[in-house]
Amino acid sequence: MFNFAFNSFEEAIYMNGHGIYVWIVLFIVVSCITIFFITYRKKIQKIKKKLNESN
Amino acid sequence: MNELKLEYLKLKKKTRSWLGPILVFWLIMLAFPLTVEFMQDKLEIGFFSVLWIAILISMMLATEDIFIEDYNDGSLEQTIIKNTSFQFLISIRIIVYWLMIGVPISILSFIFSLGTSEDLLLSISVIPLSIISSYIFLNLFALGSALSLNKGSLLGALITMPLALPVLIVLGKSIIAFQLGINYLEFILLLLGCLSIIIIAVPIIVSFIIKAHLE
Amino acid sequence: MIKKFIHQFASPKTYLYQVNRFYPYIFYSSLVIYIISLIWGLFFTPEDFVQGNSYRIIYLHVPASFLSQSLYLAMAVASVTYLVWRVKLAAYLIIAIAPIGAMTTFIALISGSIWGIPTWGTWWQWDARITSTLILFIMYLGLISLHNSFSNFEKADKLTSWLVIIGAVNIPIIKKSVDWWSTLHQSASITLTEKPTIDVLMLYPLIGSIIGFLGLITCLVLTSSKYQILIREKTKSWIRDYV
Repeated sequence: MFNFAFNSFEEAIYMNGHGIYVWIVLFIVVSCITIFFITYRKKIQKIKKKLNESN
Repeated sequence: MNELKLEYLKLKKKTRSWLGPILVFWLIMLAFPLTVEFMQDKLEIGFFSVLWIAILISMMLATEDIFIEDYNDGSLEQTIIKNTSFQFLISIRIIVYWLMIGVPISILSFIFSLGTSEDLLLSISVIPLSIISSYIFLNLFALGSALSLNKGSLLGALITMPLALPVLIVLGKSIIAFQLGINYLEFILLLLGCLSIIIIAVPIIVSFIIKAHLE
Repeated sequence: MIKKFIHQFASPKTYLYQVNRFYPYIFYSSLVIYIISLIWGLFFTPEDFVQGNSYRIIYLHVPASFLSQSLYLAMAVASVTYLVWRVKLAAYLIIAIAPIGAMTTFIALISGSIWGIPTWGTWWQWDARITSTLILFIMYLGLISLHNSFSNFEKADKLTSWLVIIGAVNIPIIKKSVDWWSTLHQSASITLTEKPTIDVLMLYPLIGSIIGFLGLITCLVLTSSKYQILIREKTKSWIRDYV
């Protein structure tokens, strides 16, 4: 069940020419989630700061 | 019956509101051949797609000011305060809009279809489809108009057009079904089923939405 | 009884404190599950004999696609809760979920398009499911625009809730569209009622990636709802104590 599906690490990256599609999608997914997390964290910090100042 | 007459007279007075969408429909159907090389067989290929989209756009324009004037002059508020059924009034208004805009457009659809395909039976099959679909579209766009009451028709169109797209798919399939001689009646029944749900649900939802606007 | 239960446990204050309590557990466990599942799926599952290695996009595409619809359903439930029981928190959740739903739908569309290049030979096909997902994406944007167009939050919440409920009709159409119009798109590999059509070697990491992604998106929704609470309840005295 846990056999490495490729002969080498380079082959795993290349994936018989399909690697480019897989890695682009992975990049998009990771960046979307990260951007959203960062944006909301910043927004929360900003509003907390504002509320603290008004206190 | 009195309400129907009253709504009819109200809409009749607003010539732009009922004549405008019909003329826009006419213009889109006239503009279509101008964009295609003038050969009969090529015209037929995209004709029905343009027809359904023209009906959709005309209905969208028709509902642009379906509630806004009454909202601005306070008569919507008055109607809600009164004891008369608000949902019923909304249904009546949509019916009047359909009779004065949807039905003429359906007749025009038949004429344009006959002019393009020269197939009488196919053109006749367009009539029930356009009559039912125009009523469905009017209901949906009335809903959009209620949601975006004082925020412009663009927002209303943006939020309700996705709901109308499945109807377009069924319309497209119906014509293909008629041409192949299969399932045409089933598609009509499917549209009628959708319509029966919509004509009951939309006035109720619209009345809640307008009440939310007025609260 | 339901009303009492909802009002007791759905006060923004209780919610905010509970979120802060459970957030780290959900976040780290789902992050670990997601990373392990992705590594498992991308490197340790066998190559698909038809699609080759491009099928590995399934571990990124399916969770996003599943959540794009589930989040809309969650919004519909929140809308009903808000309109029926007038629970404020439900209204906050609707607008907290909407942008995240739009993001997952965007991921589903983009990943599907990229997957289509090596598999179908085209990045876009007017296929029923793709088209209905695009419709869903536009609906999310429409909801956000509708909510943003009102300065009165209460009015915006009510109108958005109605639109969400009406739009929920679109969800079964998306679900069933592949079967109805049967076009290029493959049928769902995992359904609730039938045995999965995917091999178990590929299935387990897929389930893991769905669970991990679900957890991460849940955390994102919790963060976004926290922001909504802070914005909407900023005049309340408890918020000042909380901050």
